[in-house]
Amino acid sequence: MDSDMRIWEHPVLGKYEKYEEPKVLHFTLDGKDMTGYEGDSVAAALKAAGVMTHRYTAKNHRPRGIFCAIGRCTDCVMIVNGQPNVRTCITPLEEGMELRTQYGVQTKEEWEAENDEEI
Amino acid sequence: MKRYEVIVIGAGPAGLSAAAEAAKKGMKVAVFDENAGPGGQLFKQIHKFFGSRANNARMRGFKIGRKLLKEAEENGVEVFLNAVVTGIFEEKEVMVRIDDTVHHYKADYIVIATGAAENMVPFKGWDKPGVMGAGASQALMHLQGVRPGRKVLVVGSGNVGLIVAFQICQVGCDLVAVLDAAPRVGGYGVHASKITRTGVPFLTSHTIIEAKGDDHVESAVIAEVDDHFTPIPGTEKEIEVDTVLLAVGLTPMNQLASNAGCRVEYQEQNGRLSPVTIVDEYGETTMSGIYCCGDSAKETAEGASSAMLQGKIAAEHIAADAGYTTEADAEEKAEEYRKTLDQLSGGMFDVKNKGRMDISTTEEGYPISQSLLRHGYITAEELKGFPAASYEADGPHPVIECTQNIPCNPCRDVCPAGLIHVAEDITRIPEIDYSQKCTNCGMCVTNCPGQAIFIVDNDYEPGYATVSLPYEFLPYPEKGDKGKALDRSGTPVCDAEIVSVRTARAMDNTAFLTMKVPAEFADTARFFRKG
Ligand SMILES: Cc1cc2nc3c(=O)[nH]c(=O)nc-3n(C[C@H](O)[C@H](O)[C@H](O)COP(=O)(O)OP(=O)(O)OC[C@H]3O[C@@H](n4cnc5c(N)ncnc54)[C@H](O)[C@@H]3O)c2cc1C
Ligand code: FES
Repeated sequence: MDSDMRIWEHPVLGKYEKYEEPKVLHFTLDGKDMTGYEGDSVAAALKAAGVMTHRYTAKNHRPRGIFCAIGRCTDCVMIVNGQPNVRTCITPLEEGMELRTQYGVQTKEEWEAENDEEI
Repeated sequence: MKRYEVIVIGAGPAGLSAAAEAAKKGMKVAVFDENAGPGGQLFKQIHKFFGSRANNARMRGFKIGRKLLKEAEENGVEVFLNAVVTGIFEEKEVMVRIDDTVHHYKADYIVIATGAAENMVPFKGWDKPGVMGAGASQALMHLQGVRPGRKVLVVGSGNVGLIVAFQICQVGCDLVAVLDAAPRVGGYGVHASKITRTGVPFLTSHTIIEAKGDDHVESAVIAEVDDHFTPIPGTEKEIEVDTVLLAVGLTPMNQLASNAGCRVEYQEQNGRLSPVTIVDEYGETTMSGIYCCGDSAKETAEGASSAMLQGKIAAEHIAADAGYTTEADAEEKAEEYRKTLDQLSGGMFDVKNKGRMDISTTEEGYPISQSLLRHGYITAEELKGFPAASYEADGPHPVIECTQNIPCNPCRDVCPAGLIHVAEDITRIPEIDYSQKCTNCGMCVTNCPGQAIFIVDNDYEPGYATVSLPYEFLPYPEKGDKGKALDRSGTPVCDAEIVSVRTARAMDNTAFLTMKVPAEFADTARFFRKG
């Protein structure tokens, strides 16, 4: 399902190094199994898999995703292996990573439990 | 605490050039950059750059970056990546965060070359996933090999917007439109034209009102604006897109300079205030020994070539001050660099002409195409009369559709037949000496950074002409492929057949495509679409 977001070959850059002999990495997003490639940033793997929303803001639950892609804006932060506020655009994807969509600074369940309210 | 004679902040063209030059003089130099790769903006730039040979024109941005890095390293510069400078303190102490650890370094001289950050424009839904900076899309495409989206709208038609929009097309995304609130295309006409001929519309005097969608962008509402940039009620249109790219200008990053106590003034630029670090003719700030150069020292970005030259000027001054060279030598060198800097300025896109709407002729007196300014392409009628766009010559010959004064001259340098002339002042538009014979080598076509040169052969076959064009999309068409020729606006005008596809090392991944068209379309057919 992800292949149409990947640029397998570029007219100027040719074949990207990571696609020469692509190594598949497995990870989960909110418990769902997903795959990416070695050499992907977490954000790129999600983008390739069609995921656009990385987190919801604390106050107004506004969805956020990649905005600067160079680690400056913090729009793309998620909970990575239990640690919140990780900038996914500059974090390399690793085998077995557990990603959670971030609500404020928590997981959805934590947020709902604390605020006694369903999202 | 570790000491360096020179600490440079930012490994873009300004920083790397300053570092290499200071190291060449024998100084101990370190460069810190927050990114995982060196080159600053260059790292993401894959197009051929403007300028002259002295400043790497027609070389692709990322290759210039590599060259600069190599030069710096060969001269003993230590380059630290993933290293964010978080503060400059008294006695030139620099605080750097590398992998979550904070380090302190001391320097005799500091060069701030932190570049510029992308501006934002507020509109309803601007914070939705799917709205991103133009630079972000470049990072995804060129560093990650992933498309930023499927259907893309680009907001802003300055050079950054135009270059990124073309790159969006190159990776096979559907570029729906490029829009700009101004009544004319902001960047070089040639950058716009390589997009319009593929069939993408330019919507000048248009703005985005809203990015719609539940969880991410699913459509954009755009509208026409009046002379005061106010949306005109009733002109709203909703277009289906999943990605909106913002290319609405850059602001110099000078937090570090102002934290260090350097004087920073707000100067008005196109109606918005931009912070400008005050520097002298060597790039030294009001704090002795702290320099600022490149995009971080300007009210508007002037380009990589200027950044490199400014970096070198700063290095000369530093080396002289530290006794590694004489003041006289440093001044002589600086003067030389300033001359090259001058060469790059001038022309209708020069900083001092920014925002001017009243430039109606080129410096040579040719009328500037209104269609080019308004719609992103010149008409065949408007092109007549330009000195390098004649169809009179026998056999193959270049038709150069470069009609604005921009600082660039690779066409002259690569022509082995000596047919093409650009004056000493490289912002002058090219001329052709029709008494010389074109060898149809394709070098001008494939090396023109604006992709604005075509080779036309009116005498190919009775009733047929060929038009050769630069092509940077995949897959390349093949000899014998049949399809349609599109005109400069991207409208199909006639049948076309590919008669040759040439590639060569010297063409650097720009294919030289030759298509056969009915003779009467020789002056309009400018792009090929298969099928
Ligand atoms: C799409 C696009 C197309 C362009 N096309 C052209 C062209 O055709 N021709 C041309 O001449 N120019 C072009 N330019 C402009 C050119 O790239 C810039 O003018 C040039 O890169 C500026 O160089 P610089 O060294 O000043 O800054 P940059 O290249 O921006 O480098 C600054 C570096 O400093 C780093 N940095 C910032 N703050 C810190 C900190 N606190 N700690 C550590 N590191 C930090 C940044 O991450 C960056 O790597 C283009 C730019 C863009 C965006
Ligand atoms: S997208 Fe801005 S920090 Fe990741």
